[in-house]
Amino acid sequence: MYAYTDFDRQFVHARAAQFRDQLERHLAGQLPDEDFRALRLQNGWYIQRHAPMLRVAVPYGVLSSRQMRQLARIARDFDRGYGHFTTRQNLQYNWIPLPRAADVMDLLAEVDMHGIQTSGNCIRNITADVTAGVAADELVDPRPYAEVLRQWSTLHPEFAFLPRKFKIAISGAAEDRAAIGWHDIGLQLRKNDAGEVGFQVLVGGGMGRTPVVAQEINAFVPWHHILIYIEAIVRVYNRFGRRDNMYKARIKILVKAEGQAFFDAVNAEYQHILGEDEGGHEQIIPEAELARVAASFVTPTGVAAVPAIDIFEGADPAYRRWLERNVLPHKLSGYRAVTLSLKRVGLPPGDATDAQMEAAADLADQFSHGELRVSHDQNLLLPWVRESDLPALYAAAKANGFATPNIGLLSDMITCPGGDFCALANARSIPLASEITERFQDLDELWDIGDIDLHISGCINSCGHHHSGHIGVLGVDKDGTEWYQITLGGSDGSRLSGQAVAGKVIGPSFAADEAADAVEAVIATYRRERQAGERFIATVRRIGLDAFKQATNAIRRTTAAH
Amino acid sequence: MKFVSKAQDPWHLCAGEDGPQPHPAPADHKLLTLEQWHAVRDTWPAGLATGVLLPNDADVAELASDLPRLALVAVQFPKWVDGRAYTQARLLRVRHRFTGEIRAVGEVLVDMVPLLQRCGVDAVLMRADQSQEAAERALGFFPGHYQGDVNDHRPAFARTGA
Repeated sequence: MYAYTDFDRQFVHARAAQFRDQLERHLAGQLPDEDFRALRLQNGWYIQRHAPMLRVAVPYGVLSSRQMRQLARIARDFDRGYGHFTTRQNLQYNWIPLPRAADVMDLLAEVDMHGIQTSGNCIRNITADVTAGVAADELVDPRPYAEVLRQWSTLHPEFAFLPRKFKIAISGAAEDRAAIGWHDIGLQLRKNDAGEVGFQVLVGGGMGRTPVVAQEINAFVPWHHILIYIEAIVRVYNRFGRRDNMYKARIKILVKAEGQAFFDAVNAEYQHILGEDEGGHEQIIPEAELARVAASFVTPTGVAAVPAIDIFEGADPAYRRWLERNVLPHKLSGYRAVTLSLKRVGLPPGDATDAQMEAAADLADQFSHGELRVSHDQNLLLPWVRESDLPALYAAAKANGFATPNIGLLSDMITCPGGDFCALANARSIPLASEITERFQDLDELWDIGDIDLHISGCINSCGHHHSGHIGVLGVDKDGTEWYQITLGGSDGSRLSGQAVAGKVIGPSFAADEAADAVEAVIATYRRERQAGERFIATVRRIGLDAFKQATNAIRRTTAAH
Repeated sequence: MKFVSKAQDPWHLCAGEDGPQPHPAPADHKLLTLEQWHAVRDTWPAGLATGVLLPNDADVAELASDLPRLALVAVQFPKWVDGRAYTQARLLRVRHRFTGEIRAVGEVLVDMVPLLQRCGVDAVLMRADQSQEAAERALGFFPGHYQGDVNDHRPAFARTGA
């Protein structure tokens, strides 16, 4: 992972000191709530239902065991002993009192961490393929580019107060595991016919009230020009994005409204920067800088391809299931990437206790050269596991509650914290997630249902990515009670799910006591209607929504009369 | 960074009872709205210290040919979280090579000052309740930055490589 320089380290400590100064002015009554708000947000501090929420940045989802232990310590000493991993590969705490906020930022800075730009109307933490650098289908390792982009976006003075939040995701593999089409900017690394590296640049994706899939604005931006190209996009957005209505302020609305005129403005701006601006050319990334950063992302010492072994040989059924679901291919022969499932009965999806964080750090040290990843699907991943270590890792993961063999299955759902914690939410997500997890505990049944993306958001802000779920559940509020709207057929853009697209609503919202039944009815309909070997998403696309509407209408009780 | 005090500031807007005067008379240290400037620029004498107050949705490129005649461009923050004027200031410097004063006015708060400075603003008229001492402290937290900016065009990678 990226090795902080002295400068990087001084920088995060400076940020912590700056935040302490702001917090002290606030607590002393010199910085009123309305002025402090944007400042604390850009350090990851929200004010939530119970206490402030802190969102800690995990740049492109890469963590060291040392950092994970510090996160565990903060959970234990400052929170109530747990944290929540998010779809943007970050970690959230829910119970830290604001007066202790600056102390937490100092502790984070000790391990090269921070909350910079994890909220606010600025360029957010950049996300990437969870298997970056180890994926068997990787064309170009996105991590060095993600780090260069992280540095460029960090405290960019021109773009700290954009019309709205701005999210960038980057993928370097054949398979899109970063849902790049759903981002304000999606970057796909590719090589041209001459073997040169560049980016396909997508722009204008986003969820929320108006789900829009990003469009290609440029098929190939040479890698060393990417900062300039992104600056051009963000500058056009900063100048022309709407500021009169926060629901129309994302770049997707500008791209939709302006179409080709937006693309032309960006391409003209790109040429202006290169052709006219003082310092324009200085932003071209030198080979030496890429090499400096890339040197942090080499294969760990001691890791080298070894002869592959048959990992299934002699495996009992339970172990086989874990191998099939939680163990991923690797670019190196004899190695695998292993998912530690954070989806299990008794804990909300994506949550980990301090003891589990410590355990994950220990597993990383023992089996993965001290490195962990946070996945977009709210699980953890160990990227450097020897095939010969898999049985031992399985036993250890199982002992720590990480071995539910459900990756990609129904209970491996994406869920936001919802109304239990989030002040924005219209409805709770966690009780519904728990109910579904409990109903579908039987592994034979989960296995039979097969690959399926269930995404649950507690409100239209879509933190639970309901639009991109094969089954999407959206919490809505009507007259102070919780209701749940269900959509089918959404896609995150992965190969299994097909081109990124928002799901379609299957009818009026369900009452809180009907929602889990409705999901169950959807699943039952699929099992009845599917053809041999057909996955859920394929059945939905083949037969359409009617059968699902009928089945879910049949379970309505509270809403039956409507 | 110059902290402008309203009481001692020589610059003044040219407003009458019904809002901005349509055709202000030439004099030093007049801060003209963009409309006023457009109305008088063909007849405005050379050699006067002249300023223009730029709306934050204006295209600075349209002012480019006038910049050599201006001593001051004031960029505006009607709300402090409306960040359009950062782009205007930066483009005035790096694209249009404006060398006069760029002043931030409106809802200018302590914690904006470091960002403004990096975008080429060299004078601020802060909101009345803001502390100059806190703003000066805010300018001193960071050992440097990653991006190039108006004061040093080189990103960190170009500086360390030099």
